[in-house]
Amino acid sequence: MTATATPPSPEDLDLGGDSRARGADRGFRGLVTFAGLTVLIVLGLILVTTTLRALPAIQEEGVVGFVTGTRWAPNDDVFGTFVMLYGTLVTSLIGMIIAVPVSIGIALFVTEVARRGARKYIVTIIDLLATVPSVVFGLVGVLVVVPAITSSYQWFADLVAPVPGLQSIFGAANTGRNYFTAGLVLAVMIIPIITSISREVFATVPETDKQAAYALGATRWEMIKGAMLPHSFGGLVGASMLGLGRAMGETIAVTLVIGGSFHISANLFAPGNTMAAAIAQQWGESSGLHTDALVGIGVILFVITVLINFLARWVVRRAEIKMKGAHS
Amino acid sequence: MSSLTTTNDQASPPDLSGRNLSGRRAFADRAATVGIGLCVLVAAFPLALVVWQVIERGGSAMSLAFLTEDIPRNYRNAGPGMGPAILGTLTTTGMAALIAIPIGVLGAVYLNEYGKTSPLAKFIRTMADVMTGVPSIVMGLFIYVVWVLVVGEKNGFGGALSLACLMLPIVIRSAEEMLRLVPDELRQASAALGARKWRTTLTVVLPTASSGITSGSLLAIARAAGETAPIIVTVGLTFAANPDLFAGGNTTLAAQIYRNATQPFEASQERAWGAALALIGIVFLFTILSRVISARFAIDRR
Amino acid sequence: MKLNRRAIFGTITASTLAFSLAACGGGDDSADGDGEGVSGEITASGASFPDAFYAAAIDAYADVNPDLVLTYNAVGSGTGKSEFGEGINDFAGTDSLVGDDEGIEPGSYQYIPTVAAPITVSYNLPEVEGLQLSQETLAQVFQGDITKWNDEAIAADNPEATLPDTDITIAHRSDGSGTTSNFTTFLDEATDSWTLGAGDTVEWPANAVGGEKNTGVAQAIQDTEGAIGYVDLADANASGLVTASIENADGNFTQPTLEGTTAGLEGAVVNDDLSYNPLNASGPDAYPITAPTYIIIRTEYEDANVAAGVKEFLTWLLTDGQDLAAENDFAPLPDGLRQQALDALNETIAD
Repeated sequence: MTATATPPSPEDLDLGGDSRARGADRGFRGLVTFAGLTVLIVLGLILVTTTLRALPAIQEEGVVGFVTGTRWAPNDDVFGTFVMLYGTLVTSLIGMIIAVPVSIGIALFVTEVARRGARKYIVTIIDLLATVPSVVFGLVGVLVVVPAITSSYQWFADLVAPVPGLQSIFGAANTGRNYFTAGLVLAVMIIPIITSISREVFATVPETDKQAAYALGATRWEMIKGAMLPHSFGGLVGASMLGLGRAMGETIAVTLVIGGSFHISANLFAPGNTMAAAIAQQWGESSGLHTDALVGIGVILFVITVLINFLARWVVRRAEIKMKGAHS
Repeated sequence: MSSLTTTNDQASPPDLSGRNLSGRRAFADRAATVGIGLCVLVAAFPLALVVWQVIERGGSAMSLAFLTEDIPRNYRNAGPGMGPAILGTLTTTGMAALIAIPIGVLGAVYLNEYGKTSPLAKFIRTMADVMTGVPSIVMGLFIYVVWVLVVGEKNGFGGALSLACLMLPIVIRSAEEMLRLVPDELRQASAALGARKWRTTLTVVLPTASSGITSGSLLAIARAAGETAPIIVTVGLTFAANPDLFAGGNTTLAAQIYRNATQPFEASQERAWGAALALIGIVFLFTILSRVISARFAIDRR
Repeated sequence: MKLNRRAIFGTITASTLAFSLAACGGGDDSADGDGEGVSGEITASGASFPDAFYAAAIDAYADVNPDLVLTYNAVGSGTGKSEFGEGINDFAGTDSLVGDDEGIEPGSYQYIPTVAAPITVSYNLPEVEGLQLSQETLAQVFQGDITKWNDEAIAADNPEATLPDTDITIAHRSDGSGTTSNFTTFLDEATDSWTLGAGDTVEWPANAVGGEKNTGVAQAIQDTEGAIGYVDLADANASGLVTASIENADGNFTQPTLEGTTAGLEGAVVNDDLSYNPLNASGPDAYPITAPTYIIIRTEYEDANVAAGVKEFLTWLLTDGQDLAAENDFAPLPDGLRQQALDALNETIAD
């Protein structure tokens, strides 16, 4: 595939030419560098404007109090965001638990199982799923899923009632607007992005590895388990993290089905709230310190997204080092 | 000198054919195949549900008048239309694309052609991933502060800006992937012919990757067209078509869906679902177009 | 092949460009009216509580003066007020009074009352008709102190009804809302049992279900048997909800009718700045949970044409426009208050 010596990159070649050509090169390089920096500029601006705006509210509680406080009472100027933090994490986790296996399954189906002709259609279906607007998901969720699914929740809760540990997680469901429904909706929404990246990751598995596994007599599933999944672990984690980021930031769909409660509950069938949903719900009527606090929630969400992304990258690097030996 | 193989001396090689598969392994393979197939159904089901519901609830509202007439001022009034919202969706998303795609593609060029693995490039890549996770409402708040308050009115351009910010990381990421697929040999050949790097990028790399970039961009556009929260915060409202993004309020299909679906009146809800049908139609069109383009002009992997 | 790809790529880029540039250019100037009315555009935003009424009014007004184009964007009272302070809208609708930290200079605005509407207490109990709730019971139910429908307090209010052993599920607004604010202010002022305070967001008890906007609460009530919640009249009627009779200040149980609302308005005390409080008003027929809503206008407008337009529309709203209130499930202002509003309008925006 590659020659033993790598040829010099075009930059290193002395292509001669006048200073005008060199200037154009430098100009173009400057242009694209600036374009790349736009991401940093915009993110930086977002961080600065939102943090400045949120400062009065955060000062009111102190950073620790703001993040860990369990009471959210704007009327009393009490702003504790823990309930919403909990809700975001729980709903995103439910979404991930459902979406990651399903997405990997779809990606495997497309790369390994499906016939060539069918692949296009399945990929199109997944892409279509990606583009359904979030507000439509939310509406179908609240108008169709919620009424239909509540009895199933109750049935399941009754089923696991005798088991002591599960009983608190799957408790009474007197409404379909709860953590679990929000998690379901999120799962549907993040499947496309995890699938598409997983597909790309699986496509980079060397064909030789796969053939080698078959040559040793492996069934398709054993080949997948032995040759594909270990090789792709890092990429799959990265894909899941992108999905997680999207799940945590999802606003409108979750707002419509989460139930808007400010109490923490271990019961997945109880109503709750998430950070993004809380901002969207209370923004219109808020003013003054309340608004600042809502912006503060946005800042926390931002920080968490950064942390999770860094964590994901770290995990991927560790996995890659273990699999293939250290490389930069 | 011992020979490597002498069939007489060794035991017969293991039978690796499928007939010798143990029951357990065969079952595991079967089960896995079924499980994987089920995953596809699990993803297809919600799509089918959504499309069915939208068609069922919005189909009765759909008509040419619905697509062109002004939005009724009174929620209770039955009848069309969503014309201004369709125009608003197309103009704000179009303007957002005009802003985000060039910047995104150039940024991807930087990441793949110039920055590669430098610390700055790695940082930008990480931050682009972070940016995809910024909640759409936070994007809207940000644009409210830097545009709406500065200009003193809510107009369509603010919406376009917030959509552009949402699209940018997606475009950068997908464009970078496409650029990475362009074989290095093409770049080297172009350099061998004496072209400078910028010339190579513009005349060789980008055209080769163009179909992939286009299809990725169309997907980003389709996603932006469905955004609701930032539009509500930055764009305001209008009942009559407003093609001018810089003067006066505007509205989009997504915002109208939210506005009408949260009203109790039947006429309002019917319009909301009709708008949902129109929006899904537009968005699906972009998606399928993107698929067709990428399928027809895809780069063959070597 | 290359030509094809270029052609398609180019067409997409060109059409996107064309669209966006058309958007840059466009925009006709509004034609000058040939009538006596003001022409131009007025931008307004604010409370969603009166949105259904304002929408109907603006629709009717388009026939009265087609050259004055009004847009009311129901973004919420808080945002409406902050946009007012930032100069983004020409007038704002609000259910709550202007506070100190909302970015509006004292003295730069004037309250104009416009309409009012009752906040119903709707419930989902198929076997029980004509539920009556005293004020203290109501507070205890919504606080989570009373958890079952056959509780003795509810039974005491309804001696003839057979109440089932169902759990009570509280339905409330998940979004910040002037409706919540008025409902909780009523419970706060009128009862001793209420401890959750008043505001557009309160700490409802655990297991209470939140719905987005009035429609969401109505849906939540309809989805769950044993649910009880507060919904404005227009939404309750459109959703077909059953409403409870609430004890008023005089001790009578009244239904949330428009007549009861107007009776409540008549009994309300009006302050100098035209803010008023109709909650728990006295009067035998008054419905106690009546929510006011205001429009705030600037005391000084930069653009005289805008000022004239605002004045023309609001004058119509306070005269002919009041006839539209009833058919939209809102109560028109009683004559005394209406006249005060008109006077304030004329004083603030001189001709």
